[in-house]
Amino acid sequence: MSNELFEKAADAICDADVERAEELAQIALDEGIAPLEMIEKGYTAGINEVGRLFDRGELFLPQLMGCAEAMKSATAILKEAAAEQGSESEESIKVVLGTVQGDVHDIGKGIVASILEANGIEVHDLGTDVAVEDFIETAKEVDADIIGTSALLTTTMGVSEELLKTLDEEDLRGEFKVMVGGGPVTKRWADKIGADGYAENANEAVSKIKELVD
Amino acid sequence: MVQTRLGDGSTIEMTEEEIKADIERGIEDAVDRAKVDPLSEDEIEKLTDIYTRPSKFVSVETGNELVLTFDEGSVKLKRLAVSIGRIPDLQIYERVFCSDTAELAHVDYSFKPVKPIVAEEQIEMEQALLSTVLPIYYGAMPNLSLYSQPDGAFPNPAELLPKGKIKEAREAYEGMMEHAIKDMVYVGSKMYEAGADGINFDTTGSAGEPDFLATLKATEKLKEKYPDISIEMGMSGEFVLGMHGDLEYDGTNLAGLYPHQQVKMAEKAGVDVFGPVVNINSSETIPWNIGRTVTMMKACAEASDIPVHANVGMGVGGVPIVETPPVDSLSRASAALAEIGKQDGL
Repeated sequence: MSNELFEKAADAICDADVERAEELAQIALDEGIAPLEMIEKGYTAGINEVGRLFDRGELFLPQLMGCAEAMKSATAILKEAAAEQGSESEESIKVVLGTVQGDVHDIGKGIVASILEANGIEVHDLGTDVAVEDFIETAKEVDADIIGTSALLTTTMGVSEELLKTLDEEDLRGEFKVMVGGGPVTKRWADKIGADGYAENANEAVSKIKELVD
Repeated sequence: MVQTRLGDGSTIEMTEEEIKADIERGIEDAVDRAKVDPLSEDEIEKLTDIYTRPSKFVSVETGNELVLTFDEGSVKLKRLAVSIGRIPDLQIYERVFCSDTAELAHVDYSFKPVKPIVAEEQIEMEQALLSTVLPIYYGAMPNLSLYSQPDGAFPNPAELLPKGKIKEAREAYEGMMEHAIKDMVYVGSKMYEAGADGINFDTTGSAGEPDFLATLKATEKLKEKYPDISIEMGMSGEFVLGMHGDLEYDGTNLAGLYPHQQVKMAEKAGVDVFGPVVNINSSETIPWNIGRTVTMMKACAEASDIPVHANVGMGVGGVPIVETPPVDSLSRASAALAEIGKQDGL
């Protein structure tokens, strides 16, 4: 019965059906299924499938937004129940994200932000053309786990290196993990500048962020 | 052991068996994603041969040479810090690089910023045509993103969508498209009237399927106005990103189309030369990347009734993501696309 419910929950997310996702969350609680198990085996499996389909061009951004909304609504019900039962869910990972200064490309970064949020990660999206000091200031304000930078241009990708140097100079390098991404950015370059992580696409960013924070 | 590369350009060593296995994995990925036919065993053997030869540079058999079409040509040498004007740059493409066509382009490389300076561009085009003999296109990007805030008049869909304002984002895209079509037709008309042999819409679809649809419609309008104009359309990615999700052309939803499907839309609009893109995965090997690239490119060429010129360069077409592509990878990708990928040009 649980497996069937998990599958239905995953389908509700893929179908971007907010009402159905919420209804299934309530059914799971009524049947005594552990809220966190329902999130992991049902809804998270669904949002992972959404990410996979988006990565292949089989699902589009407006649909993705609907799926993310269904995920947020259903998991909110389950997290609240988990807290009441004393089985605290893990605290959300906090990511400060932005396109680096001098670069105004926002589509790819926006997609990453959406996929991260859909996976329950708290995203503070600073937009485009973001100065190094603004990344750091916001990361301090929200007590971020990770700073994520995006650059589409070979001429702007160096700003991520400046960010790392500034964090070093201000003795903050140990406070935040830094992840880099964007069209011309590669893992080799990320390693070269000393970044903590690199992701090829939005889906990979989710798993890399979770690895880094673990 | 054979020296090859990762998609990020770093050199690695693999055995011949490993290279063949990675080519086969890349083919499987292309078949799975784009729903196209795999390469035959003979083609896999030939591809493996190209990628395991010890030569630094690999070329094609006589008779298999391809037409070479360069986009953004008049800007690229300047990027290498060569002190050169645009017309000498085009002459170098013609007389040194043996290019079959060239493209005059402005450094801003989008139709919108060219609009107010199009008279200057017309003069440059006239002078370029007087000092060269090869066909010259005028090229720029549709770049739909320039029509939304902060650069344009419309609300930014990238900000509206995460707020769940899907209707508003779609309306913004529709407004942006109308403005972009006007600019593409205006600049395209002016440059054609100044003597350009054609117009190149480069990096089409970079803002998703609204960008692609706007360019298809601009092509239709230019073809209607100037039946003899040559239109080249270069794409920006291997599938059309669905940013609107509900835009059709000729009864087909444009979001999610792969190269062999994109080219049919381009043909319908009147495009004369189509430039498909297959992206590089920088974490995978070049043999894996070329397997999927050739598979998708071949399917595109087979589906097409117009010439297909694959995009081959930094991060696309089987070439690593490095600013100056290494000759071993570039020459191998070119040979593979000519002899197995059935391309008409590069």
